[in-house]
Amino acid sequence: MSWIREGELSLLERLTANVLKAGPMPKHVAFIMDGNRRYAQKRHVERQEGHTQGFDKLAETLRWCLNLGIHEVTVYAFSIENFKRSKEEVGGLMELAKEKFLRLLDEQCFLNVCFAYTSRHEIANAVKEMAWGVEQGLIKSSDVSEALLNECLYTSSSPNPDLLIRTSGEVRLSDFLLWQTSHSCIVFQSILWPEYSFWNLCEAILQYQQNHHAIQKAREVHREGQAVQQLESDHSCVAELLQHRGNGKPVDPQCRQTALQSYAASREERVQRFIGALQQKRDTFFDHLLSPTAVA
Amino acid sequence: MALLYELVWRLLHCLLQLQRAAAAWIRGRVWRRGGRLCRRAALRLPGALGFSTQKKTAKPRRVRWVADGKALEKLPLHVGLLVAEEEQQYTDIANLVVWCMAVGISYVSVYDNEGVFRRNNSRLMEEIMKQQQELLGSESCKYSLEFLNNGTDPHALLCQTVVKVLSPDDGKLRIVQAAQQLCKAVEKKERTSKDIDVTVLDSLLRESKNIPDPDLVLKFGPVDSTLGFLPWHIRLTEFISLPSHKDVSYEDFLSALRRYASCEQRVGK
Repeated sequence: MSWIREGELSLLERLTANVLKAGPMPKHVAFIMDGNRRYAQKRHVERQEGHTQGFDKLAETLRWCLNLGIHEVTVYAFSIENFKRSKEEVGGLMELAKEKFLRLLDEQCFLNVCFAYTSRHEIANAVKEMAWGVEQGLIKSSDVSEALLNECLYTSSSPNPDLLIRTSGEVRLSDFLLWQTSHSCIVFQSILWPEYSFWNLCEAILQYQQNHHAIQKAREVHREGQAVQQLESDHSCVAELLQHRGNGKPVDPQCRQTALQSYAASREERVQRFIGALQQKRDTFFDHLLSPTAVA
Repeated sequence: MALLYELVWRLLHCLLQLQRAAAAWIRGRVWRRGGRLCRRAALRLPGALGFSTQKKTAKPRRVRWVADGKALEKLPLHVGLLVAEEEQQYTDIANLVVWCMAVGISYVSVYDNEGVFRRNNSRLMEEIMKQQQELLGSESCKYSLEFLNNGTDPHALLCQTVVKVLSPDDGKLRIVQAAQQLCKAVEKKERTSKDIDVTVLDSLLRESKNIPDPDLVLKFGPVDSTLGFLPWHIRLTEFISLPSHKDVSYEDFLSALRRYASCEQRVGK
């Protein structure tokens, strides 16, 4: 039985979905599902009940996303900071997560759950991985770039979220995907997460569509900047190399151009080898985690 | 059928654009009319309101601003002014910086995602000095402004506001540069990869040691994105949006500060 709530959209919801889909749609949406405890307080129920309703709402939202053609969703389930909560609440959340997420494994979309996560830890870990690469002799420190850092994040196999939604009226990011959402459309909605509706999601998508052109333009400017940075870095590496090899004589432009192309190609090769090694290291880590001896 | 949906979609977005344009027009009219009304009232009641152009009423305006700052439950230590608009009005940004100063905010960052303010740093600084004189009159000498460039540490002085002009290079690029620095140290065997953690990276990214993370970012313009503003430093920053920095009023600024004062940060608890 599917955990993602079965059930089609109503006629009006389907019509609205079709209208929205005529415009640009986000392919990857991130949610900060905030407001479970305030909801519980409002309804005079236990906190745990608020969290349960929150998980059920996630299931419903995933169904809406699938209907809208959004095939990747990332959610902030539990922050490292949340360990500050009572033992009872933390335990309850862990149990709920275990129960609900196991049932998700049959579904055909991507749900990324950030658990015991903060963005700063993720970024620092990515830098650590690159340093490991340097230690192993796989890459040089001059190979470090924004693109390489992207490959070292936990989210490396996903595109950056197009849209980030935070519910409950709070207007901050709380250490969630700080790097990945630098050029995302960010929508803050005042509704509490367990009360989230299809119409709230449509409202957020509408805002995404209104911002689409300006954000695409900003992303383009940023990409151009990245390309310039890479070229400058390659130039300076090549200049150093040529100076090292040369004997004080000026290098002709043709020779410099060829050296630049060959340097860029070898850099790419190094980077690909490093990414391969990193993937292998991660696979080994997960295999070990899931092995019979580890689970015991 | 697809054509019909597309037509409805276009109509919907057209209406939303019209709504936005109408809101901007109304805001413009209200501000201008409000300004006219205030100027008329100011002539009748000199010194009562802050909009008079006469020199002798500059003092009550500053006093009011200081009082406003003290009356807030919570005042941000560091405010970021994020301009997500196509055109930049230096006078309006300068006004915002001076109001921050008058109200008691210690650090102000100015940012736009194309680095325009950074490239025209001196023009902005001149404008801020000019508005400081204009808005604070004879009292402006009591306030000292420090413009920070890369690598310098602010001097700790009372009644001082530190202003820093930022660009996208201070965001992801800065993080990449810090990563390169750490990797170079590993290359030279001065460090191991195991040494690298959040604290190490944070201290590298906090080159001016005394500047705290922004508590509040005032975002101006219709774009709902941080547009590359200091990704590392904004983990707990509150974002308050204002429609535009052009002709922004002190009242708009104060109501954003009041909204900030009323928010509660649980930090995971």
